[in-house]
Amino acid sequence: MSVAERAASSVPTLSVKQCCHTGGGEGAGPQSPVVALAGAPNTGKSTLFNALTGANVTMGNWPGTTVEVSRGAWHAPASCLCEGCTCPDSQPLDITLVDLPGAYSLDPHSPDEALTRELLIGGPADERPDIAVVTCDASRLTGCLYLVAQLREQGLAMVVALTMGDVADKRGIVVDVDALTERLGVPVVAIDPRRRGGLGGLAIAVRDALGVPAPDPRPVPADADALALEDDRFSWIADVVEAATTATAKDARTRSDKVDRWVTAPVLGPLIFLAVMWLVFQVTTTIAAPLQDFLDTLFSGPVTDATVAGLHAVGLGDTWVQGLLVDGLIAGVGMLLTFVPLMTLMFILLALLEDSGYLARAAVVTDRLMRRIGLPGRAFLPLIVGYGCNVPAISGTRILPNARHRILTALLVPFTACTARLTVFVMMGSIFFGAYAGTAVFGMYLTSIVIIVLVGLALRGTLWKGEPIEPLVIDLPAYQVPTLRLTASVTWVKLKGFLQTATGIILVTVIGVWLLQSIPTQPGEAFGEVPVQDSVYGVAAQAITPVFAPAGFNSWQSASTLVVGFVAKEAVISSWAQTYAVAEPEEGGAPGDLGVAVMNTFVESSGGHPIPAALAFMIFLLAYTPCVATVATQWREIGGRWTLFGVGLQLVVAWTLAVAVFQVGRLFW
Amino acid sequence: MYVGVGLDRAPIGTALTLVEADIDAAPAHRLASFGLRVGSGFSVLSRTAGGGRVVLVAGSRVAVGRSLLAGLRAEVRA
Repeated sequence: MSVAERAASSVPTLSVKQCCHTGGGEGAGPQSPVVALAGAPNTGKSTLFNALTGANVTMGNWPGTTVEVSRGAWHAPASCLCEGCTCPDSQPLDITLVDLPGAYSLDPHSPDEALTRELLIGGPADERPDIAVVTCDASRLTGCLYLVAQLREQGLAMVVALTMGDVADKRGIVVDVDALTERLGVPVVAIDPRRRGGLGGLAIAVRDALGVPAPDPRPVPADADALALEDDRFSWIADVVEAATTATAKDARTRSDKVDRWVTAPVLGPLIFLAVMWLVFQVTTTIAAPLQDFLDTLFSGPVTDATVAGLHAVGLGDTWVQGLLVDGLIAGVGMLLTFVPLMTLMFILLALLEDSGYLARAAVVTDRLMRRIGLPGRAFLPLIVGYGCNVPAISGTRILPNARHRILTALLVPFTACTARLTVFVMMGSIFFGAYAGTAVFGMYLTSIVIIVLVGLALRGTLWKGEPIEPLVIDLPAYQVPTLRLTASVTWVKLKGFLQTATGIILVTVIGVWLLQSIPTQPGEAFGEVPVQDSVYGVAAQAITPVFAPAGFNSWQSASTLVVGFVAKEAVISSWAQTYAVAEPEEGGAPGDLGVAVMNTFVESSGGHPIPAALAFMIFLLAYTPCVATVATQWREIGGRWTLFGVGLQLVVAWTLAVAVFQVGRLFW
Repeated sequence: MYVGVGLDRAPIGTALTLVEADIDAAPAHRLASFGLRVGSGFSVLSRTAGGGRVVLVAGSRVAVGRSLLAGLRAEVRA
């Protein structure tokens, strides 16, 4: 059966050749050979995938980065360089490359590892990849070779890509590639995917391996039980490592180990963790502020003025078109764009933390805390991803072996303050807390942690009572100096994702909000010329406003933006800007005055207690449903019942905390 | 009868041999995949927040949670 025929048939098993568990991306076509990238977590698989395909798969220097399968086209260069040669190897070859979740072995401990096993060896032989490229960390070969040993027993064609040679060098470990090739019985190529080194050699090895039959399976003792089989594999691995590696260092402790003594230490570790997080938010807000002001001035001044002048020139001045463009798109999208420097800085700093290897240490430091709320330390990793974006964080719960822990983590992820919420926090912080804006924003992140702990404790004491927690076992990758290319790449992927999501949602939201604000509810008022409070938008917002009275932000402007925020937090500021620009044109209506308008609204709605009301609003925004995309992802990962439970839980927690903060806060401010 | 000393009391920076792994199968298999199994050599590098340990085994640095330490028993290598 050809690959095309196979693609057309409806084989029920999972297959790398027709897998639906993909995180996007296209292969090289149905006739192209399929190469699967496998290997232990954190051995450079995704970095290699990106280097070979030019794709932008999420990468990180911590175990469990890849939880989805990614596909890409790898244009492998010609491996035969003979002059005038016309053999097949003298032409480039298009290969479909599939990046599988990291797995230490074919004995899965979590759904992502189970998916890797299923795609490598689960189906019939013709559904398996044509070749598996297995990445192995040269500095810790033993930990990587168990998967190789198991794959060698399956008779799967394989090439071993040896990564982290620089780390091995620093640790005084020398790997003899030829000896390793001989012992493993499959080709071994040393590569450096971070710096794009050795990729040509890998292409040649893969093309050569595609042209020959797969090696015979490694023989194992007949009638061996699982334990004996395991012993046999470890014995084989020990022989391979002994024959192919030489350790020259007298002291096995490295600089990474010396750093870890401080960074994971009992008291200092948590303090360093808090200091690092505080620094990230402080640096982000401080450096971004002047750039934000510049963009704010640009959009509210020259861009708005030029648009108004242009519309007047073509006879569309003071019409609904001007309302849509100036009060809607420029005020809304322009306001969002002022946050691009802030987001960029945040993504750069998080990328540096990821690439350096610090996040794996953070999982160790927070293990005890995670256990208190009924989760293993590894659950910290999806939670910290949530501080970037909740959607991949919920997908990331697949690294947890226990289904009940996955559900609990997916219920807690929405309480992590994603970067979309950061934009609102920064704006509220600068309006209400001035020079202490950075501290206020950091306070929101601490509040986020407190909410996670409290909700986790409550769930552990009730619905998750008596649930066993698997103990912490996590490998700590060597610290790495982050590379410019990798940091830029990761930052760009995240920023692009944010802008794509935000721009699309904001355009639709801005137009939707503008439309609702233009439709009158009173007879005698014309479309597009109605005061916002009398529009469909204003009347609907006023209907829900009383709910927020105990929390001090019972203005229709604040209530309506929370409704928009349910769709996506990226749209909160734009809808606010739009509301105030339309609602108060006589006061200028420019986005630059948004802060004054918001402050006045909070002073009025809180009865003279704007600070506690603002805090209550920020906490409500932090705790209630992040966005519809998060809800959809939760639905996919944990089902409709738990998702609806989660949405209800978020609303109850958000409202209760907001009311408590305002009612207590107004006694002091 | 227990042999050796639990990792919670094992000396830091000393070459050790794992002599007993009285822990659940799942973490035992996970540790084994890093090379930490009965008979293998390793050393404890440091204590961690939460009462765990970082062990160096076959080139890998593995953080092991506190709840496993007592069940992992080791002897000082000769």
